[in-house]
Amino acid sequence: MNAIAGNRNKASVIIIGGGIQGCSTAYHLAKRGVDVLVLEKDRVARHASGVNAGGVRLLGRDIAEVPLSKVAMRRWQTLDEELDGDTGFRRRSLINIAADEADMQTLHTRQALMHQWGYHHETMIDQQELRERLPHVADYCVGGVVSETDGYAIPYKSTFAFRQAAARAGTEFVEGQQVQGVRRIGNSWLVETASGRYEAEYLVNCAGAWADQIAVMMGDNCPMTYSAPMLMITTRMPHFATPVVGAVSRPLSFKQFENGTVLIGGGAKGFADRAHNRTRLDYAKLAVGASNAVDFFPIMRTATVNRMWAGLEAYMPDNLPVISASVNSPNAFHAFGFSAHGFQLGPVIGEVMADLVTRGCSEFDLNPFRVDRFERKVL
Amino acid sequence: MTDSYDIAVIGAGPAGMSAAITASAAGARVVVLDDKPRAGGQIYRNVTCSPLSNTDLLGPDYTQGAELVAQFEACRAEKISAANVWHVGDNGEILFSQAGASASLTAREVVVSVGAMERPFPIPGWHLPGVMTAGGAQVMLKSDGLVQDDAVFAGSGPLLYLIVAQYLRLGVKVKALVDTTPKQNYLAAASLLPGALSHIDVLTKGIGLLNEIRRAGVPVYKYAEDLNVLGEQQAEGLRFTSKGVVHSLEAEHVFLHQGVIPNLNMTRAIGAEHAWNRDQLSWQPVINDWGQTSVAHIAVAGDGRGIIGADAAALSGQLVAWQQLARLGLISLSDAANHSQPLLQQLQRYQGLRRFIDRLYQPVDALRRPESAETMVCRCEEQTRGQLKAAFDQGARLPDELKGLTRCGMGPCQGRQCGHTVSELLAQWQGTEVEDVGYYRLRSPMRLINLTELARFQPHQQTHGVEVKS
Repeated sequence: MNAIAGNRNKASVIIIGGGIQGCSTAYHLAKRGVDVLVLEKDRVARHASGVNAGGVRLLGRDIAEVPLSKVAMRRWQTLDEELDGDTGFRRRSLINIAADEADMQTLHTRQALMHQWGYHHETMIDQQELRERLPHVADYCVGGVVSETDGYAIPYKSTFAFRQAAARAGTEFVEGQQVQGVRRIGNSWLVETASGRYEAEYLVNCAGAWADQIAVMMGDNCPMTYSAPMLMITTRMPHFATPVVGAVSRPLSFKQFENGTVLIGGGAKGFADRAHNRTRLDYAKLAVGASNAVDFFPIMRTATVNRMWAGLEAYMPDNLPVISASVNSPNAFHAFGFSAHGFQLGPVIGEVMADLVTRGCSEFDLNPFRVDRFERKVL
Repeated sequence: MTDSYDIAVIGAGPAGMSAAITASAAGARVVVLDDKPRAGGQIYRNVTCSPLSNTDLLGPDYTQGAELVAQFEACRAEKISAANVWHVGDNGEILFSQAGASASLTAREVVVSVGAMERPFPIPGWHLPGVMTAGGAQVMLKSDGLVQDDAVFAGSGPLLYLIVAQYLRLGVKVKALVDTTPKQNYLAAASLLPGALSHIDVLTKGIGLLNEIRRAGVPVYKYAEDLNVLGEQQAEGLRFTSKGVVHSLEAEHVFLHQGVIPNLNMTRAIGAEHAWNRDQLSWQPVINDWGQTSVAHIAVAGDGRGIIGADAAALSGQLVAWQQLARLGLISLSDAANHSQPLLQQLQRYQGLRRFIDRLYQPVDALRRPESAETMVCRCEEQTRGQLKAAFDQGARLPDELKGLTRCGMGPCQGRQCGHTVSELLAQWQGTEVEDVGYYRLRSPMRLINLTELARFQPHQQTHGVEVKS
């Protein structure tokens, strides 16, 4: 059996998964002249990378992720030019709202931690400044924290822009190729799908909510889970919020796009059926999200919800991704488990993975993201 | 009031009312949810409370609905009117908003009888103010007694002629009827005429309408093509070619109509399989003879299963009811079979008529798949054919991919106005079948819902514990 007619079946690197991490990795490798093939089980950007909330967020990152996130944020500012595409990125700042003094205390503690590490991109704001920046915020909100460089992008368009740039640099994308098995024969990786056989020197696992299955094929176990974070979006509203908005202790996040529609998230999860590529929504939890939105921004009382959806996303127990060489196989690498905040990291993860493949190391400290980090613990 | 039922019927048109009457009479606990204040559906809208003093002018097909509505009102089914059903789950969960709050109920079996909508009519200028569908004009007439003088009616199909005739009977001036039915349709349909003769009354009624319009002195332009709504900010007229001659008619109101297609957002969002009907050139749910979809416990009745017309819709409603009654164990399988048999035969007899009508009024390619780059395809997000083609050239192949790049289908009509056009255009550009292209992936809410109503949604109250008799 051969690969699909018209497609190559050999490359230096095979990337499994055509989400933003896979497309960005392909782009960075191809730009360095590496011969890359991306195998996507459905269609590029079909799952989390195409349907997430589009948050481009440096604010509130885990300390371990901050160096990566800061570099990624720099890249986003000029990503459209770099990719010669349209990611829809808009720098709008991100504010996490403090609803009460307890929230402010949480922010003070965080601030101290950030300063201790030498990070100064998160700035606390008082009630007056909060109201200046968000005139429609509810009166009881007492302050917040802002990161000026943050904003949003359009997820499908961003992933597509990486894909197009990668393709222009010579990457081949083969869609509808669900990997059924991988084997290490001599110095090669053999990859089998239902309708094709592929061969490469290096394998990169960017398989998102299915990445633990690919990891097992490559010889690495990891305690990944998957879920279905839910979103809803309104019809167009008069402009009332420029910054992207989150909340310190309540599950609320929303952003108003240029066209006036308001995307409401907040991390509430639906039900994930990954075997069938399906998610179910939990309407009671969406109702709580609606209630929070109205509570923080009374102007949203009259908003009309147009669409609701969820995407399949991978989570790790510590909510930190796996960015790692395989521990049990040579020439194999992982980038998955971003736990619903990987979109912003896309530009830098591609670069890190390209470094791992071509140079065997990265300038970043990747220890917190090792694939075997949970094996060292006695449970 | 309770919140769990044997059967939930969504939509109180001829199909839904008939299903409810049959099922409740046989002892099922039935609830019917409808978005209008009064039952009747589009066809029998306000038939029992018309703003018009003389409803006979609307024709016997309308007034005869009063009887069915009265039967329905008298039946034992619980009626929830003015309810906005925004979620129907494949598990039988139904969420709806009514009077500012959201509520839920569950049903063992669900009948989706949400009827049809008018086929989009994507010609240059169809998005301008002053352009409406002919059906929209009829809604204004039936609901509010509102009419527009000197309008141009354009398109094809029985409903178009009916509305023009209804206007004329009310003394409203009609500027012209621009008939887009192409000559070849008459020829192609002629061979199907014998199969339709069993419903000769329907055929004569159709011919009667056209004669009525001609006798009233309304100019009728036949075989019209190359339709363009004139005007920049607002409709100012219609330009078209008829029998080789270009005509430009001035009009502030242009009413367009080229047949109806099933309302699919509900069956799509439930996850039922759909197929492309090559005769009707529209998507429809895949069903068995009784109207059962690919999703267990979800059946469709009426025009939502593929266009069948009001009389056949009523039959299909009864049919669904008998099957669901058997599944609920309220009647035996053999009883269900006995009741179904004559209904199936009657439905079968409508097929010859249907094939004839479908062929005669089959809309031409140019009126379904816009040819000029400037023609609006997605009106909500203002995406033209040219913009969609550019996204296709970038690599978008599926409706959702086109949507991801251009926002087509993301607006408040939830893809209803562009979905069919997008499927057909993508198939044309790829040289493949519409079936291979598919449709937008839809999910709830099936209707727009107010955020405050959603916020007030209280999930189903579970009762815990087992009652123990002492």
